[in-house]
Amino acid sequence: MADPVAAPAPMAGAAASGTAAGRPQGLWERLEQRFGRREFLLKSGWGFFWLFLGGWLLSNLRFLFPNVLYEASLAFKAGKPDEYPLGISEKWKKLQRVWIVRTPQGFYAYWARCTHLGCTPNWFDAEGRFKCPCHGSNFNPDGDVIAGPAPKPLWRCAITLADDGQLFVDKGRLENRPGAREQGEFFLPYAAA
Amino acid sequence: MTSVKQYVKKTKVWKSIFRHDFADSPRTRLQRIFGNVFLHLHPVRIAKDAIRVTYTWGLGGISFYLFLVLTVTGILLMFYYRPASALAYRDIKDLSFAVTLGGFLRNMHRWAAHLMVVTVIFHMVRVFLTGAYKPPREYNWVVGVLLLVMTLFLSYTGYLLPWDQLALWAVTVGAQMAANSPLLGNEGPFMLPFISTQNDARFVLVGGTVINDATLIRFYVLHCIAVPFLFTIFLAVHLWRVRKDSFSLQTGEKVDVWPHLVSREFVAALLVTVILFVWSIVMEAPLEAEANLNVTPNPSKAPWYFLGLQELLVYFDPWIAGVVLPTLIIVGLMAIPYVDTNPKGVGVWARMGWQRVGPTRLWVPTERPFAVSVFMLGVIMWFVLIFIGTYDRGPNWEWYWPWEPWSYRRLTKMTLKNLPNLWGLVLLGAYFLSGTPVPKPVRDQMAARGGPKAPGLASAALHVGLGLVIAAAIFIPLLTAPDPDYPARSRYPTLFESLGRSVNAPMVSLLYGWVKHVGPAAGYAMSGLVVLAFGGALGALGIAFGKFKDRLYDELGLIKYSVVMALFLMMMGVLGKIMLRLLFGVKYVFSLPQFNFNI
Repeated sequence: MADPVAAPAPMAGAAASGTAAGRPQGLWERLEQRFGRREFLLKSGWGFFWLFLGGWLLSNLRFLFPNVLYEASLAFKAGKPDEYPLGISEKWKKLQRVWIVRTPQGFYAYWARCTHLGCTPNWFDAEGRFKCPCHGSNFNPDGDVIAGPAPKPLWRCAITLADDGQLFVDKGRLENRPGAREQGEFFLPYAAA
Repeated sequence: MTSVKQYVKKTKVWKSIFRHDFADSPRTRLQRIFGNVFLHLHPVRIAKDAIRVTYTWGLGGISFYLFLVLTVTGILLMFYYRPASALAYRDIKDLSFAVTLGGFLRNMHRWAAHLMVVTVIFHMVRVFLTGAYKPPREYNWVVGVLLLVMTLFLSYTGYLLPWDQLALWAVTVGAQMAANSPLLGNEGPFMLPFISTQNDARFVLVGGTVINDATLIRFYVLHCIAVPFLFTIFLAVHLWRVRKDSFSLQTGEKVDVWPHLVSREFVAALLVTVILFVWSIVMEAPLEAEANLNVTPNPSKAPWYFLGLQELLVYFDPWIAGVVLPTLIIVGLMAIPYVDTNPKGVGVWARMGWQRVGPTRLWVPTERPFAVSVFMLGVIMWFVLIFIGTYDRGPNWEWYWPWEPWSYRRLTKMTLKNLPNLWGLVLLGAYFLSGTPVPKPVRDQMAARGGPKAPGLASAALHVGLGLVIAAAIFIPLLTAPDPDYPARSRYPTLFESLGRSVNAPMVSLLYGWVKHVGPAAGYAMSGLVVLAFGGALGALGIAFGKFKDRLYDELGLIKYSVVMALFLMMMGVLGKIMLRLLFGVKYVFSLPQFNFNI
């Protein structure tokens, strides 16, 4: 290994310059030779400056996300099932933004919020359509889009019976896929008395 | 009296404030400008051509003056306004009806804001049409676009503050657009796995999951402090650069800025003030009922300058209309000075003239025909959308002609259908391929092999072919694809049949009417002819502009050409999709509902 000519090819350059300087090279020397001490300190200094500045600004981005929200509960009790006739009830639209639908088989509930951009649609009984006033989306009684720009069906809320026999609607749990939305907590079987 | 004046002028106090006399001497004219912090943004002398009223119409200066008016009236309004949902609406009512001059100041703030949106847009159009963005002023154009965006954002954050119905629903829609941004919105395409309603783009804008007090204080701070702060910084850069780059390319005789420019600015400011005063006395700023999340006004219309965007949202998914298209418009505007290499038309208004274009004579811009036409087409499209949103939309956002009375109970027959994805891909592919140029080396090679007419023929074949593919990709799926929404019977009706029954897709119902009235064989044959004619027309358009495209490619090179062509095709594509929706009842050209990805 003492003979630089016999060294393996990749090492040749480094070994040659090492012998030229007259001393063996460590990692530190090679770094210094590659970057130069002054340039290395300058670059790492500025690097850490921008890292600090960027990190500080990014941490302020996190500051904009509140940790505690003071918002109303998404679940509410909607009275006894027998208070509802067959069809779409607008009883809770003003207070809770929910339509409660009763069919001969049972109950389900819509969140009265257009899946396009969040306006509150209106129910047109004669046509059997929900129509949104903001961009003209139309939904059929199943909540499926039949016209306008809305990309997906209306959301259905979880609906169960509370301990006191009232309907319990939760807007925090939503479903709109055909198949999944007609079962489980999104449909409450209830036969007419 | 004069002696008192003489005495005052000799006091140390006077001399410490005013460092020059007021005689109209050349020396004083200069001193007035550079001895005054407010005036020294001006140069002391300026080319006569640069301050011609018919050259700039003073639009930039008027915008700046309106910004000052808005700052002053805004500061005054802040004395009475408290940004809390329980108080805000009452405070605005108080301002309008109980506070002396409160209503007047509020009107003035509102109308000045509307006027500023107008003057900023017209300023941009003026700068474009006089080529004032060309080197060395590219960067200042970019800063100007940012100022336009901030002007609109200031308007948007401003109209939440009254906490009325308009405010609430405009902000609901705006915030929901944030929820539809790609990757970072919880309803957008290709949402990142950790995104939910608790941490998406909407959450940070609104300060929670529903619009309430947290939103109000956020928008208040943005409107009164944060955005004006940024705006002022960019405004300083903008004005300073205007001066450093010597006010567009103007040579010729120079005149003193005091009094020639300063007097014009003064008169313009006076005129604007008079207009604002009259406007604010005659018209009240609108204030709707107090915000109520459970009742959406029907129809619910944004202020006029956002109605174009609202109308666009009807034709596209929110992530396209609300996020991608605005971004493209902004980026596209910023890119203009960097892709426009034509050095002509700086410092003069674009001239129009009658010229032969293909087979007809058209009234077109003579010096920069492509740049001016495309830019103005974009501006006009934007205002047409605003016009449609303002005058052609009624209850449930349905189409009502301006002379039609509105009816809240009008039956809606419209249904919309998607094109099958494969056909949609063919359509999109053929459309964007029609931007392909034939570069010079390829043309030369073709000419060498197939004679001098070969490149022209190849280009013609390409464009007619693509035109026919586009036409086929619209019509064939309509005629053949089954309507998946229709309840299963003995057979599915085709999209064509189900759309033909709906009155709001006039093109399809026309063809459907033919099939019904003259029998299937003749009806389908006539429809086929329409398809051929449509494809042929598209192809003819392609041929007419084929040579121009090749020349553009040779001049701009690959990267600039791709940027220009992509932006241009997307702009025309927006128009195309609007036509597909209005005439054919097509909802999506391509749709992947699993990823919220719909075009």
